[in-house]
Amino acid sequence: MFHALGDPTRRAMLDRLTHGPLSVSALAAPLGITITAVAQHLQVLEECALVRTEKLGRVRTCRIEMAGFDTLERWIADHRTEWARRLDQLGALLDELDEGSE
Amino acid sequence: MEQPKVVHSTFTLERKFSKPPEVVFAAFSDPAKLRRWFADSKAHETEAFTVDFKVGGEEYLRYKMIGGPVAGLTVVNKGSYQVIVPNERIVTATTMSVEGRPISASQVTIELLPTSEGTDLICTHQGAFFENADGPQLREQGFRVLMDKLAAMLAN
Repeated sequence: MFHALGDPTRRAMLDRLTHGPLSVSALAAPLGITITAVAQHLQVLEECALVRTEKLGRVRTCRIEMAGFDTLERWIADHRTEWARRLDQLGALLDELDEGSE
Repeated sequence: MEQPKVVHSTFTLERKFSKPPEVVFAAFSDPAKLRRWFADSKAHETEAFTVDFKVGGEEYLRYKMIGGPVAGLTVVNKGSYQVIVPNERIVTATTMSVEGRPISASQVTIELLPTSEGTDLICTHQGAFFENADGPQLREQGFRVLMDKLAAMLAN
């Protein structure tokens, strides 16, 4: 995930896709890189579920895939989940004290 | 101006326990008890845990993730006790690092309030979340859009 986002070209691609879906060639043109290079970047982004591509006829279209961004949001939100889990575990430990296992 | 890269968020969690505040507090001050609910988890493998429960003392936790987006990676939680009021209040300044890279710095406040049923616990986590230092600084607008989205989500 962070590897995917760590590359400036990939971030530029994501930035453009946030404005709407694009064909691979439309995505590649302003970046001044080859279609092959774009395809490699897209593969990394697809593996992280940040981007989804779909071939319709002869045109491959790329769009932002929200599932990957959800992962990143979850990673940040995990602090909350982690604390919620800890407090649940604290509750269980306190309940145990009733059973004379102090 | 370069865009901010740090996302700030605060969340609060509350629990009601049927034990008096002294008993709940002991689960924080006793390292053996603290380990069981704070340090250990099915989601990770605890590698090291030490705690020196006093103002200025440190709590150190290192574990390896079993699942999630960072499975297999080593996480370190380091906390420094800022304020301790027995049976009432614990304030800790903590940082979290993944593979040696800081990903967040937070202040965690635990407040224990006596009730007729036992104790109300309020946990307030004020965090600064950093971009993972995996590559160059993150500047593009697309990522800023994402960070705005995240900040909005975390504010809820």
